[in-house]
Amino acid sequence: MVCVRVDCMNRKLAVVVVTIIVIASIFTYNYFSGTSAQGGTIKVSGAWALYPMMVKWAEGYQKIHPNIRIEVSAGGAGKGMTDALAGLVDIGMMSRDVYPEEIDKGACYVAVTKDAVVATVNKDNPVLNDILAKGVTRQTFYNIYIAGNITTWGQVVGKPNVTDEVHVYTRSDAAGAPDTWAKYLGKKQEDLRGTGVYGDPGLLEAVKNDRLGIGFNNIGYAYDMQTKKQVQGIKVIPIDINANGQLDPQENFYDTKDEIVEAIIRQIYPSPPARNLHLVTKSAFTGAAEKLVRWILTDGQKYVEEAGYVPLPQDVLNEQLNKLER
Amino acid sequence: MDSRKLKNLVANRLMFATTILSGIIVFFIGFILFQKSTLILTSRPLTELLFSSSWHPWRGEFGFYPFIAGTLLVTALAMILSVPPSLLTSIYLAEYAPAKVRGIIKPMVDLLAGIPSVVFGLWGVLLVVPLIRDYVAPLVGVTATGYSLLAGGIVLAIMVYPIIISITEEVISAVPQQVREASMALGATKWQTVKHVITRSAFPGIAAAIMLGFGRAFGETMAVLMVVGNVPKVPTSLLDPAYPLPALIANNYGEMMSVPLYDSALMLAALILLVIVLLFSVAAGILLAEIKKRFAVG
Repeated sequence: MVCVRVDCMNRKLAVVVVTIIVIASIFTYNYFSGTSAQGGTIKVSGAWALYPMMVKWAEGYQKIHPNIRIEVSAGGAGKGMTDALAGLVDIGMMSRDVYPEEIDKGACYVAVTKDAVVATVNKDNPVLNDILAKGVTRQTFYNIYIAGNITTWGQVVGKPNVTDEVHVYTRSDAAGAPDTWAKYLGKKQEDLRGTGVYGDPGLLEAVKNDRLGIGFNNIGYAYDMQTKKQVQGIKVIPIDINANGQLDPQENFYDTKDEIVEAIIRQIYPSPPARNLHLVTKSAFTGAAEKLVRWILTDGQKYVEEAGYVPLPQDVLNEQLNKLER
Repeated sequence: MDSRKLKNLVANRLMFATTILSGIIVFFIGFILFQKSTLILTSRPLTELLFSSSWHPWRGEFGFYPFIAGTLLVTALAMILSVPPSLLTSIYLAEYAPAKVRGIIKPMVDLLAGIPSVVFGLWGVLLVVPLIRDYVAPLVGVTATGYSLLAGGIVLAIMVYPIIISITEEVISAVPQQVREASMALGATKWQTVKHVITRSAFPGIAAAIMLGFGRAFGETMAVLMVVGNVPKVPTSLLDPAYPLPALIANNYGEMMSVPLYDSALMLAALILLVIVLLFSVAAGILLAEIKKRFAVG
């Protein structure tokens, strides 16, 4: 009996010891992970649209600065902003505009690269040839997406005998792409008409599957990564920029990703729907994070095209570097 | 102290602690949500928040009515579509099916219950949505995108289906064999036995199964969000898009948590959802107690 008891006591002792160790290690873990962030680690979180680019930059930067660790996580622009303002991360990634409420809280941001949103239709659209030959004006997009007074594809191209309904698709989730598309039309995402579909791939899929659909996507989704051609099943809608009722040769740059990227760099493709992507922090970039951002705006720019994004013009880059000085 | 008694005491206290914890968590959640939504609650009258149909956060208009209606309609549709067939299935499995059939079907139903909801959502996008667009809508003579209340209801019904079947089958199987024999001995057919004896004595359990399914339907987010169309307008037909509360939160939280009033509005959406669920589960509890009293067998 005595023996059993001792055994029992030992076991209880073991339980107590293990419990103490677990609790203690939880506290010490927090303590140490809290301090190590001050050292060689740069934490980044935020927009999905900027995540692949940031990962490329992180790899490139760590190659030349092996003692620096960069932790990148995605979770939406709002999360990046919240984390940055709360000091949980050193850098937040933003795919949408920085709102006044956020600037009031001390958000400081620099543009680091560009991206663009393009409108899309199904490859079997009933008036595809007219769309590709004439382009679509901003006013027509406005009438489809905001006013709602264009409801048939015939009205889009000025052929009243075509009465196929326009199926308008938009993004259901708050994100940079719909925000930028709405901004192009002078509005907010909440003003966009249409069926809400989740995510860039979801919207692409919806237009791919609906002969009468119209949608919009980031160029990273509308063009194939490998072939650089438009993704199978959809056609990018050319914008009739000067609204003269036909697609002029200088307005026709949609065949390959390289062509549209070139048009965005030369600012022929309007902005918005082209947009700057930003990095943000609270009040000012400092220490290791500042060095990283400075590198991104200079040497880091060589990774931009390789990752499928649009580089910023040199004068804009200089402007951002000046912003860092302040 | 005797170690046996000590163990008993520790076990008792430990179980008490975990019980209390699980009991107060719901209040804890409710409190946090309430605290976070005070900003919007103090800036707008509650009646406007609950009954206005205008959702334009950037213009300062926060009307939750379309989302509340969307949640209730999608859930109701899912229950209408899932309850009758799942009850018939579970009766068949428990009473009629040969052991071999049951041995094959039951694991498959259980498997269905374990599929992650995003997979149901994808399946809905690939199959249900085109089906509605290409076949159901032309049948009633309209063109529609297929992303609709109906698509949400169907996907949700299929997710609820295995839960109801699984539990109902257990409940029916648990009806004592003597009850069946007594009924048969009186000359009742199998169907009469099922209809008048089995379902009556298993009724409280069946009701509980339906309520569990209801709970799952109510809060389901991802699968519904992917097929329901997400337009903040009260749907007027099955083919119109709808926008349930969980989808509103999932669509906007990550992007908008840094904008105080918007963030607060989303917290209020969560609070409204919690309150609706609480109201329903209280009502269900009362109903269940009533049913148990009325259908008590022996």
